[in-house]
This record gives sequence, C-alpha cells and structure tokens, in this order.
Amino acid sequence: MSPLLEIKDLSIDLYADSEKFNVINNINLTIEKKQKYGIVGESGSGKSLTSLSIMNLLPDALAISGGEILFNGDTDLTNLSKKEFLKIRGNEISMIFQEPMTALDPLYPIEHQIMEVLKFHGSYSKKQMRQLAVEMLEKVGIPRPQQLIKEYPHQLSGGMRQRIMIAIALICNPRLLIADEPTTALDVTIQAQILDLMNELTDNYDTSILMITHDLGVIAETCERVAVMYSGEVVEEAAVTTLFKNPTHPYTVGLLESVKSLGDKSNKLYSIPGNVPTPKQLTGGCRFASRCPHAMEICRSQAPPLFSIDADHKSKCWLYGEEEVVNG
Amino acid sequence: MYAYIVRRLLMLVPVLFGVSIFIFVIMRIVPGDVAMTILGTDATPESLKQLREDFGLNLPIYQQYFEWMAGVLTGDFGESMRTGKEVLPDILTRFKLTFELTLISAVLSWIIAIPLGIIAAIKRNTKTDFGVRLISLLGVSVPNFALATVLILILALFFSYSPPVGYVGFFEDPATNLQIMILPSIVLGTAMAGAVMRMTRSSILEILRQDFIRTIRAKGARERVVIFQHALRNAMIPILTIIGMQIGTLLGGTVIIEQIFSLPGLGQLVLTAITQRDFTVVQGAVLFIAFVFVLINLLVDLLYSYLDPRITYK
Ligand SMILES: Nc1ncnc2c1ncn2[C@@H]1O[C@H](COP(=O)(O)OP(=O)(O)O)[C@@H](O)[C@H]1O
Ligand code: SF4
Ligand SMILES: [Mg+2]
Repeated sequence: MSPLLEIKDLSIDLYADSEKFNVINNINLTIEKKQKYGIVGESGSGKSLTSLSIMNLLPDALAISGGEILFNGDTDLTNLSKKEFLKIRGNEISMIFQEPMTALDPLYPIEHQIMEVLKFHGSYSKKQMRQLAVEMLEKVGIPRPQQLIKEYPHQLSGGMRQRIMIAIALICNPRLLIADEPTTALDVTIQAQILDLMNELTDNYDTSILMITHDLGVIAETCERVAVMYSGEVVEEAAVTTLFKNPTHPYTVGLLESVKSLGDKSNKLYSIPGNVPTPKQLTGGCRFASRCPHAMEICRSQAPPLFSIDADHKSKCWLYGEEEVVNG
Repeated sequence: MYAYIVRRLLMLVPVLFGVSIFIFVIMRIVPGDVAMTILGTDATPESLKQLREDFGLNLPIYQQYFEWMAGVLTGDFGESMRTGKEVLPDILTRFKLTFELTLISAVLSWIIAIPLGIIAAIKRNTKTDFGVRLISLLGVSVPNFALATVLILILALFFSYSPPVGYVGFFEDPATNLQIMILPSIVLGTAMAGAVMRMTRSSILEILRQDFIRTIRAKGARERVVIFQHALRNAMIPILTIIGMQIGTLLGGTVIIEQIFSLPGLGQLVLTAITQRDFTVVQGAVLFIAFVFVLINLLVDLLYSYLDPRITYK
C-alpha cells in the first residue's frame, strides 16, 4: 500500500531583491494513511512553508524549486493544474491555521462559511447543506448549533472559532488534515480540548494528520512520528517515543532541554542560544553550526547528510556519520 | 437601529444651526452688499440707504438673523433680493439638476473604476496594472475645467459640437436630458473614477493578504469566488468611504462644471448669488447643501452597518 503523502527532495526558494534564496532544502517526509505525523521546530524553521507547499498556497515570493509531493502514491501535487487543485483543497486535503481570530471572513455568518465548502465539492440542496453543517458543528462540540450557525465570527471566542475551522476542514471527510499551530493562539485549557477533538475526529474519519507546531508537548500528545525541522531542513526524523527517549541531533537535544527546564524548580529557563539563521544569512556547512555545542571543523565546511541511526531513525549530523565520510 | 437614525437626525439640528449662523455672519462680513450690486457704483448714498431699509439690512444683525430663522423654521426661506423669486422652490429645482449630474457621474465612475481597480489588483505589477494606475493618476490630477475645455474643443473641432444650452428634466425628455448631461458627467466622473480605482486596487490587495483569504483558498474556492464574494465585499467598506466623501463634495462642488456647460444647477445659483450678494439665496442654498451633506453621511454610515456585521448602531 502506498503512503498517503510522500514529500521527496522538496526545495523551496525565496525570490527577493532580484535574488534567489533557499528556504526549504531537500526535505523528505512520508505520511502513512491514518497516521498522525508531526513537524516540530522553532519559529522560522520552515514548517508553515512546507505545509503551504502541499496545498499549493505558497506566498507570491516563494516557489517550489525541486522535488515532488506525491499524494495517494501517484498524484504529484507539484504538477497539478489550478483546476485539478481545486478538487483537492478542502476536499482531499484540508488545513487549519494558527490564528482562529482572523481565519474566517468577518462579513459572512458561520453558516455560509461551512456550507461554502460543501458547495465547492458537492451538489447538495441548501437544506441538505444546512443540515450537514449543523451535524458537523455538533461533532466539533458546539452547543446550540442551530442558533450559532447564524452568528458572525466576531461574536465567537477563539476556541469556538477554531472548532468551526475544524468543522470546515473535516466536513468533506478529507484524507489529510494539515494543522499549522492550531492551538498556539489559544488558552492552555482550550488547547487540550482542541487537540483531543482533533484526535478523536480524525480517528473516526480515518484521516491522517500533519501536525505542525513549535511545541514538543503537542507532538507528544498527538503524533506517532515526527520530523524536527531547522532552518528549512529536516534534521531528525523518528517515531515520537524514540525521539523523546533517544534524541540524537544536538538541535533536538536542545529543544528537549528547553522543554524539561520548563518544569524545573531551579527556574532557570534553558533555551538554545542564538537564532535560526534567515535564508539570507546562510553559508555552507551545517546550518546549526553557529549554535551547536558540538560543532566540529567539518560542520562549518560541509553540510551533513541525513544519516540512519537505525532503520526507523535518521539524523542530519556529522556526530553520527564519521565512517561514511571516511568511506565516501 | 431606528433609535440610532432618529438620534442622528436630531443631531442635524445643532449642525445646521451652526452652519446657518456661520454663513449668515460671513455674508455680512464680506465687503459689499446687495444694494450696491443692484444700484451700481454711481448710486447716491440716499438711494442705497433706502434700498437697505427695504431689505431690512439696517436692522441689528441678530434681529435680521432671527427674522430669517423664523421664516426658515416654517419652511419659508424668503425671496431672492435680486429676482424676488421664492428661494426654496428655486433651490429644489436646481438641486434636481445637480443631483442628477452627481448621480450620473458617480455611477459612470464606479462602472469604470471598480472593475479596473480589481483587474489592477489581480495583475499587480504587470503592464496592465501600471496602465490602470497611470489612467487613475491622470484622472485625479487633471483639473476638471481643463478636461472639460479640451473635450468641448475636440468635439467642437471634429464633430462641430456645441454645448446644449438650457436644461430639460430627465422625466420630460430623457433623450435630450442625457444628451445635455453626458459630457459634464464624463468630466466629473473621470476625477471620481481615478480615486475610486486607486482605492479599489489598494483595498483589494490589502484584503488578499489577509488570513481568511488563505482559508477560503484552502477550502477549494475558485479565484472568482475569492475575488468577488470575499475580497471585493471586504474591500467595499473603504471604497464606500471614498465614494461617500466624493458624492458629498460633488453636490456642493459642481460649480465650475455647471458654469462651463452653462447648466442651471445649484452651483451656478450659489455662484451668481454670491457675486450679487443675494444674501437670502446664498444662505438658503448653503443651508440646504449642508443638510444634504449630513444626510449622505448618515446614509453612508447605515450602508456600513449593512455591509459589515461588526458595525452595529444602537
Ligand atoms: N511570505 C514570505 N516572504 C518571504 N520570506 C518568507 C515568507 N514566509 C516565510 N518566509 C521565510 O521562510 C522561512 C520559513 O518560514 P515559515 O515556514 O513561516 O517558518 P515556521 O512556520 O517554521 O515558523 C523564514 O525564514 C521566513 O523568513
Ligand atoms: S553537524 Fe556538527 S554542527 Fe551540525 S549539529 Fe551535528 S555536530 Fe552540530
Ligand atoms: Mg509557522
């Protein structure tokens, strides 16, 4: 059985000041059917761009410069016409975003915004669409859906709006749900509810999730596999349990340290010193070298490939591949 | 909502009261008066005095004001000091022309400007976009009178056109009416179109950058739906602001165009009345224009709340 989504050697470039900068560099991801897959990394590491490229919704200044995105084994999403893509978006693959406050059109009632998706992807009567919308709102845990459906986005709380986004995303029963920081903008108590809801619904619908977050806690709660992204590259890829038990890449180790120090009584917040380099600052070598406590000579001159730690665990770091270098 | 409208209408009272005092005082501060313009420079002081007394201009200014106001409040705007005609009916007749002129220019400008603005936004930074922006720049920067003169000259030279004289109401003879109105409307419409085009382009671009547009695209919407049902509808709010402002200024600002095309509109009435120091006409017309101006503002505000559910008036 072919995987649901396979990102192969995907690169994305930014066109700015009449120059070209690499933003996503040769990443590979495989999401199986019904799998919950996570991408984690600091802000600016390229998570959102990766997800937008799947939907062909990259901002104007950015474009895919190489690789392919296979959906259902045979459809290459990077090669699809605009018209063909309309059938995928919202129907086969849907997406929810970080900012529930601004993600809905302020001028239309909730009803319209849910029924709209049904109109794009099916032929229902108005009555059927309203019926389906109400049922979907019930499923995402919205009280009094009959009344709420007439309300406008500004009348609802952030948590409610995110539930509505989930309803919109799932109403056509997609194969893949991409969630880009779906809980980051919400209160802590609401965060857990929304994650539970997404877990439960995608289980019921056999939908795969691509969960994008900067928060390892969210990964731990929802995902089976995870890719750690740094500066436009996947630097480590493993099953979630493996990653937490046996992190290999110094960046992953740093991320885990900073999470642990959150619960630390000493109250000393650990964070990885320095910042993600911007696309314009990149030089050759390992992109993490300027912040890495283990950086070696080779790290600054040559970019490490993705080494296999074992069959199911890969890490993009020279610490795990000296032999290959000698040989290769 | 109704309470809000009533409240806004009540607020008209102090505004119009202020305007009435302002214009009344201004007219009496500017040098010269109606007696001088009627009798000319070689009039004797006695005859001037006599005429001023006839018009009541010798009375203390507050008394003149109260007498005028007492009339206005009962719907009697007085009579023209020059022609003896009743002021209010004259204003209303002429307003019909000015209103029609404004309306045709406005509609004409929207028909051109909104589609072009949308096209420019969709095709931003292409030749089409630069073309549209150039046109809109010309539209806003070429003065009305210059455009009018050039148009008349060209038409006169090549089509032996001469501006029709006089005015025929639309309901009396639509064909002749439109023939009279079309040229001045084009001239006025061009300036409006330039500004509306710019506003349409920039607000659509602004809206297209917003998060909810990405959501709509992610739902699988066609570009047509994205632009017309979502981007344009959201952009209509700032566009409406500029349209409201323009209509307001046009209603009071068709003076030059009415002069060039010899149209007997409200602007022409006011202009003549000012040069003749025809106090009652100027006062009445200015008060009327202020009233219409405030009404249009109210209408625009009500349209806002119709377009945008976040705006509610209580
Ligand atoms: N619209 C854009 N224009 C230019 N650069 C962008 C744009 N969006 C993202 N980038 C750049 O791409 C990189 C990755 O961004 P993003 O995918 O948003 O990161 P993340 O979602 O992990 O925080 C960042 O360095 C950012 O500066
Ligand atoms: S390759 Fe070198 S610099 Fe990069 S993470 Fe590994 S040890 Fe650090
Ligand atoms: Mg992001």
